Amino acid sequence: MRLGIMSFAHLHAENYLGALLALPDVEVIGIADENQKRGQYFADLFGVRLFESYAALLAEKPYGVIVCSENARHLPLVKLAAEAGVHVLCEKPLATTVEDSQAIVDVCKQAGVLLMTAFPMRFSPVALEIKKWIDSGRLGQIYGFNSTNQGALPEFHQGENLPFLERDWFVDKKLAGGGAIIDHSVHIADMLRWYLQSEVVEVFATANAIMHAGKVSVETGGLVMLTFANGVFASIDCSWSKPAYYPIWGGLTLELVAENGLATMDSMKQYTTVYSHKVGRPTRDVWASNSNVGMLNEFVAAIREKRLPAITGEDGLRAAEIVEAAYESAASGQPVKIG
Amino acid sequence: MGITHAAAWAKLPVELVGICSADPNHAKKLADEYGTKAFASLEKLLEQVDVIDICTPTHLHHDMVLQAAAAGKQIVCEKPLARTSAQAREMIAVCKKANVLLLVAHVLRFVPAYVQAKATVERGDIGNVAVQRFTRCSALPKWAADNWLMDMGKSGGMLLDLMIHDYDYARWVAGDVQSVYAKSLRGQRPESAEDYGLVMLKHKSGAISNVEGGWAYAPGMFRTSFEIAGDAGLIEHPADSSIPLAVYMKQQEEVADAMIPISPLSEDPYFLQAKHFYEVLTAGIEPRVTADDALAALEIGLAAIESVRSGRQVQIAEVA
Repeated sequence: MRLGIMSFAHLHAENYLGALLALPDVEVIGIADENQKRGQYFADLFGVRLFESYAALLAEKPYGVIVCSENARHLPLVKLAAEAGVHVLCEKPLATTVEDSQAIVDVCKQAGVLLMTAFPMRFSPVALEIKKWIDSGRLGQIYGFNSTNQGALPEFHQGENLPFLERDWFVDKKLAGGGAIIDHSVHIADMLRWYLQSEVVEVFATANAIMHAGKVSVETGGLVMLTFANGVFASIDCSWSKPAYYPIWGGLTLELVAENGLATMDSMKQYTTVYSHKVGRPTRDVWASNSNVGMLNEFVAAIREKRLPAITGEDGLRAAEIVEAAYESAASGQPVKIG
Repeated sequence: MGITHAAAWAKLPVELVGICSADPNHAKKLADEYGTKAFASLEKLLEQVDVIDICTPTHLHHDMVLQAAAAGKQIVCEKPLARTSAQAREMIAVCKKANVLLLVAHVLRFVPAYVQAKATVERGDIGNVAVQRFTRCSALPKWAADNWLMDMGKSGGMLLDLMIHDYDYARWVAGDVQSVYAKSLRGQRPESAEDYGLVMLKHKSGAISNVEGGWAYAPGMFRTSFEIAGDAGLIEHPADSSIPLAVYMKQQEEVADAMIPISPLSEDPYFLQAKHFYEVLTAGIEPRVTADDALAALEIGLAAIESVRSGRQVQIAEVA
């Protein structure tokens, strides 16, 4: 299975590349990046080939590519791949608007290529365990979810001595589509749709820019409430509220309150705490299973078996609709109906 | 709650003059326990005391506070101050006119972890408050007389009676609340006896708060937590993490309906609250919770109830 990666603007690109290189029956034919210096850096780091352009990478006819550009640049890259007949795994969020997300879905459909949205949480063993509990019916009627997907200001993704990585775009509204809401509400929104097998019908959001004020112009604090067609409601705290010196970058937590009990989940709870003189503060080393591996295996399997992946472009589109409604609600102060 | 307050007062240099209850047997039992008298009516009790502590169901607070104020007595009142904003406003006005104190028991302001976090914020250690999170969930309470807590008209339900603790604390830390959006289990499924709620507050400062409350856990479970994120730091107090003592029994024993986690303190919050009230009443220090604070917390709860009913974000001004 010959695969490639388009753009390393998103830091998940190197996680995916590392995981791909360890997968049996996968050949990474190379990577391409409009930022040549960034591309060269990762090509050298992982010992893979750097193509001089996306067109050159696609001309080598990979079976599939992973698109890891800035959110706003997913559409042009997916379009290039689809028109070259190459299957696509696209980083989340699918795009910064519903319109672009729809265009991504359409262009892949027209070209007859697979489109998968990168929601790795669906492959997290911890998240899967909760799914099993829900599906078994043992929890009974689900009442609601109280959840967080918090992190540090993603400006810190930049890397202290690596400014050429140009990863400060996460706080740039034009390239990212917004701030904390678009960055951190889509994972949980997708997980809950998957858990409940029900669609979101109403979205409320409230946000502010108190943290990192003056440094960034997008929202850094946000609370989103989702109401599903089956009556379940869920809050998502998507704030960039973790200080840069927090023991870990952030995490994803869920509290599920149901008729027969309470289930709590913390995707980053499988860790050791390290106190190193080199760092000077406690840090958490997570030993949880790498959910990217499951996600990449699914992408490969879907291509091989010529079937839809477990997470489709439509799933990415649904998440984009939720995000757009959240921004509309944050602006108007009232819930927004969707679907 | 009268039992809890009586235990706290008993540790202070005050004379517990008497106890009055709608259930005479209950009053007698408690009076015997504390070596005091049971009174058949509030009127009779008021004749004998300097201070009255009102721990009756919420909807009765209004009339009793007015009665006590008319008798010129200092007043301690359990939270929520009243069932409606109009009642609370009248109570405050009447007490002011009668020149009697109206001290409202918002005990969270005496719980050490919450007190400490408030002080940390006041010192400026985490900068301006941006996002707060609060959790307070237990099983469906069954201890209330005649199950009055389950009567929305009397108690305001879980959204008011339980979650008001965190509304008051959220406001204490981040300032006045402007608008409220809420969803609740009983809002979605009115036939449910249990309730679960998620309430989002927008403070006038721009800060936002996520408040989770529930009467939906397994019997014996009770969890609380908070997190306060500011522009210069973060305070965390996760559920299940501040419990220094755990007992692992080999055989599951029958558990009480609302077990308090084992976190022993030399002075429990109810005692600290009573001690503070004693100092306010005897030494004239400023109360930590004013009746206006209690009114503001009540109005947040009323706005949450209205938001669940209407499906809209509700401005505090609408329920004032």
